[in-house]
Parts: sequence; structure tokens; C-alpha cells
Amino acid sequence: MASAPSKQYSDDVSLLMVLLDTNPFFWGGTNTTTGVLSFSSFLTHVISFLNSIILLNQLNQVVVIATGFNSCDYIYESSTSEAIIVNSDNGQMPALCSKMLQKLEEFVIRDEQLSKENSPTGIVSSLLSGSLSLALCYIQKVFRSGPLHPHPRILCLQGSPDGPEQYVAVMNAIFSAQRSMVPIDSCVIGAQHSAFLQQASYITGGVYLKPQQLDGLFQYLTIQSRRLVPDMGMICTPTDPHKPNCATYP
Amino acid sequence: MPQVKIIAKNFMDMVAALPALKLDKLYDNTFICEAVLRSLPPLAKKYVLQMLYVDVPVTAKSMEEWVLADGFSKHRVAIDRLIQLRVFLESTDRKKETSYRLNPKFQGNLQKYLVHGGVLPRDPMSSSITVRLPTLEELESYALNQWECFLLQLISSGQAEKTTNFSSSMIEVFQRGLLSQRGKEAPRLTESGFQFLLMDTNAQLWYIIREYISNSEERRVDPADLISFLLELSFHATGQAYNITTLNEVQRSIIKDLADLGLVKLQQGRKESWFIPTKLATNLSVSLSDSSSRKQGFVVVETNFRLYAYSTSKLHCEILRLFARIEYQLPNLIVGAITKESLYSAFDNGITSEQASIISFLQQNAHPRVADRAAPAVPENVTDQIRLWETDLNRVEITPSHFYDDFPSKDVFEAACDYARENGGLLWEDSKRMRLVVKADIHGLMREYLQKK
Repeated sequence: MASAPSKQYSDDVSLLMVLLDTNPFFWGGTNTTTGVLSFSSFLTHVISFLNSIILLNQLNQVVVIATGFNSCDYIYESSTSEAIIVNSDNGQMPALCSKMLQKLEEFVIRDEQLSKENSPTGIVSSLLSGSLSLALCYIQKVFRSGPLHPHPRILCLQGSPDGPEQYVAVMNAIFSAQRSMVPIDSCVIGAQHSAFLQQASYITGGVYLKPQQLDGLFQYLTIQSRRLVPDMGMICTPTDPHKPNCATYP
Repeated sequence: MPQVKIIAKNFMDMVAALPALKLDKLYDNTFICEAVLRSLPPLAKKYVLQMLYVDVPVTAKSMEEWVLADGFSKHRVAIDRLIQLRVFLESTDRKKETSYRLNPKFQGNLQKYLVHGGVLPRDPMSSSITVRLPTLEELESYALNQWECFLLQLISSGQAEKTTNFSSSMIEVFQRGLLSQRGKEAPRLTESGFQFLLMDTNAQLWYIIREYISNSEERRVDPADLISFLLELSFHATGQAYNITTLNEVQRSIIKDLADLGLVKLQQGRKESWFIPTKLATNLSVSLSDSSSRKQGFVVVETNFRLYAYSTSKLHCEILRLFARIEYQLPNLIVGAITKESLYSAFDNGITSEQASIISFLQQNAHPRVADRAAPAVPENVTDQIRLWETDLNRVEITPSHFYDDFPSKDVFEAACDYARENGGLLWEDSKRMRLVVKADIHGLMREYLQKK
């Protein structure tokens, strides 16, 4: 007897960890020339993108981690069952948005309180190493939960410049991602390229992308995420011509 | 006897088989769009996403450039599927160039989804009205119980403790192809019936639902309505209560049948009544046979052909009885033995030992204690013996053939032998006494050849 034909698709479940840069110094625009993209329209693109991931497979999981200036934290987990039930009380706002925005606000306030003690000097980078580690911890937890787990992937949405003092920590995170075969995709929305993320994507086999037109961020993200599905080796993925020089010391 | 092939066919194949007009109407419903999208092969999903904000037709040629050369066959499959489900609409322009665009309804619904996120088809009732809802475990055991009850009624009507509300004609429809009746004997399970019992719950459910849908026109229910309702049902949250009044007339009659199958649980409060979808319902649109839904096994087979099944289920007992001698039954344990006689009666019913049959049943349902061992779940000597007993039955193979003798000379005989060999029909030759046997299908050729000589 032929087995169910759908078997071949059952393995395209993915776990996407999205690292959101919420650095106020970047989004405040004091430091960079974002111009085109405001934080709210950035979020709109990202939320649509998250919806599209969840739409593709009901088993897909999305976890959002906010990368702040002083701290980082989990903002949203699609696997928690609350996410489904919440939406009935406030008619208009979809569950994903309302929950995420609320947590995001709490996070930003907390992050701000921490920063009062030390006012920024020099490069105002986000805590990328911290959020990468959080993402890897989460993935490890999923790996250990059972023999069957979704394909994990990390997507860094980074705007702030690299923080040289985080170099060792970031590289350690990258190597640990490489060891556990977790690709790190990166999408740089800031003005300059990120050497950290170029290396991260290069070493882990992810895709590094620096969109030219930020108002089409959603489309960039969907194209980049083509490889979320195992079959996608088949598809031509755009890659940035910038090959990182592997020994970039800050 | 009509040959009914049991395949856990995908729900979407049924959707794809609907006439175009009805299919387009189905896409008015966001949940159907969502379910259809999720059922697509990975590559096709990506294409839909890619095309989601493209309003003009994209030529087939430029789409081909999206894939690397070795992915081309998958590309073909994806495109075919998309067209079959009318997610892509194909058009050919004057220059004979084919181009595709997304079905506008489908496109609109998905765009809405991306902005608003997933919502539930209907709001659950507040817990103040529904006093005590069953817990998820209770609900699951209810669903399995209900399903087992239905199966038992299906395979042996006398055995079931309580019968479901399905009319006997409906049951007969379900039984078609699974059971065969010879004269006045009690109906016996056919080969496909046995395979049906060995499939996992999800696959069985599909089979029944499929029969249910294809039979719907006789009950004057539009299959498209039925399909859309079933798909919608699968987007409800498991364990939540939903008011029956939100359903229309047709759906209310459907939901009663579904309750019999264990897809939903019906409950009644003081004034209102509601339905609670179970896991079976919410798994409906899931690309089936996920190994995550594997049930816990219960069978231990020992090297001495003894079989211990830790199960309280009558259904399990009935299934085991098909190929094993049940010796005694304790409240939670069925003890039996696999014997030559019991297997012969199984083979007699057309049940085979290989492929999705006895051996794989024993392996799939192995008790976790056995399954976790490094050794094979079913001892090798047992599986080997089962196979040997089966081949015993197939020792003689019958081929229709023709016998030739009285050849005038050795030369003619040898030429005839060569000719038969060339045509792949020589079965036996005896050169001393000049006799040979050829397959019946080349008899004509042989005769022509010999007459020419």
C-alpha cells in the first residue's frame, strides 16, 4: 500500500528566531541615516513577515528576541498557547501584534532604565552577543525536547553598528551556532555593513543581505527566507557580493 | 468484486477535484485559502508568497529562472499542483507564452492574513456559560473512544456496545471495499479492510471522511459546503466550546455525524448547546501522518511466538484475532500466539505478511519497552517464520502454457526452442525426447513459426 503522499512535506517545519534591533540610539536617528524607515513601519514589515511564516505551516514556530542597548529579552513566542486565545478581547488588534507590542514596550522601558546609569559614549551598539546567545539557548532547549524538532534558523535584523567590545562573545556565539548547524541569516538595515553579521552568515551558511530599498523590506525578507524550507537548496538565493574577510579584528 | 484501493488520499486531492466554479467559491473563505496553502509542497508555498504582491501575470519562463537546474522536476510538480488547485491561473497570450498569476480571491485573502494575522473562525463561548469543559486529556480519550466504537461497529456490527447514530446505509457505504460478504456468511474483512485497520488513526479518519464526502450528494449536501466546513473546523481551538447557533442548518446536521466519529463533542447547557472540537478535528487539515501523532504501542512478541498485548480495547483484540490465536483475556492484557493455522486464515483473507500488514502492524504497535530496545521490536525468528509460512502457500506458481511434442527432427526442435527463447516464452525443454513447454501468450507466434517451417 502506498503510504500517505503528504509524508514528504511533513519535514518542512521551521523554527525561526528573529532578533530585533531595538537600540534607541539607532532608531532615534542620531547616529545613522535611516531616513526612509521608521521603527513602526519596520515593525509592520516584520510582523507581516512573521505572519507569513506562521501561515506556511501550522507547526512553524516564531520567536522574537529584542536586542536592546543594555539588555535583551524574549518578546514573543508563537508556540505558547496564550497567543491564540488573547485576540478575542480586543477586536481590532491581531493577537500577534498586541502581545508583541505590549512586551516590546515593557522591554524598551526596562532597557531605558538600565541605561540611565551609564550614558553612551563612542559607538552605540546593541547587545548582539546577548541576543544571539538567548536564541541559541532557546534552540538548544528545543533540540533537547525530543527527537523530532523543527529546523532552526536565526534571523538578525540589525541596524546599529557593531560593538567592538562584543567581538569575542559574538564570535563564540557564531561558532556555537556553526557547531549546532544553525544558520544565521542577517539583514542589515543600518547605513554601514556589519562585519560581525557578514562573518556570522558566512560561517554558518546563512544569507547576508543589505537591502537597498528599505520600504520593500517585506519582500526582501521573504526572498531571504526561501531557504527556510529544506527544498530551497533548489532555489537561487540572492547573496551579497561582499565576502567577509575572515579575520576582522576590531 | 470491485477493487477498492485504500490510499490515505490527501484532502486536497478532493478539493482539487472540485469543479472550477465551486473551487473559486471556496476561496471566499480565508480558512480554506490557509489550509490549501499549507497543503502545498514547500516550493509551491514559496511561489505563492513570492507572487503575493505581484498583480501582473508572470511568464512561465521567468519563473523557471527562479530554480536551479536540478530542482526543475520539483518546480514542475509545484506548478502543476498550483494550477490543479486553481491557486495559479494560467493564461496564454498571442505569442503562445504561458504566464501565471495568483487567483485574485486567494491573493486577497492571504494579503489580509498577513496584515491581521490568524484569527479563529468563531469566538469561543465564555466560561461563565459553559460550566465545566472537559480537560484536554478527557477530550482526547473521548475522541479515541468514540472512534474505536465506530470502527468496531464498522468491522463487526455485533461487537459494538453502543451503536452510533449513523444509519445502516451509511455504515454500508463505509464498509464498501473493507468487508466482503460471501452468501449468507458473516461479512469478512478484505485485504484492503485489514490494511485500513492497520493505518494510523489520522489516515483511517481520512478514508472515512473521504467516503463521507463522496457520498454527500446522495444525502443532498453539497460536497463543497461539506469540505469547507470540515476545513474550517480544523482551525478551531481544541478544547474550546463553540455555540451551535453559529452554525447553519446543513452544518448542524453534519456536526452530529462528526460527533459520532469523535471529531467533536456535543454538550448541552441550560439554554444553549455547544460543540467542542477534539484533536481529531483540528488535525484534519494538517498534512497527515505526521509521526508526532503516533500512538503508544502495546504489543510484545516473544521469540516463542507468544504475543502479549497490553490493551483494554476490544478493537485491538479483534484486530489481533485476525492473525493470531487469542488464548485468554485479562482486564488489561490480551494473550495470544501466532500459529501457522491462525496465519493461514489471515492469508486466506488476502492479508499479506509484508508491507503495511501483519509484520509492520506488530512493529508499529510494539510496546515502548520493546521498541526502545536495540534489538528489533519483533524477534527476527518470528518475522522470518511468518514470511516462510507465507511463501509456503505460494510454492506453486501457475502459468498458462502450451505443450509441444512430436517434432520431426532435432533441427526443427532446436530452432523452435531458440525461437521460444528469443521471445522470452520458453518454460521447459526436454531435448532427449524433443518436448517443450511455452507460455500461452506466445503460442500464436510459435504456431505461425512452425507452420512456416
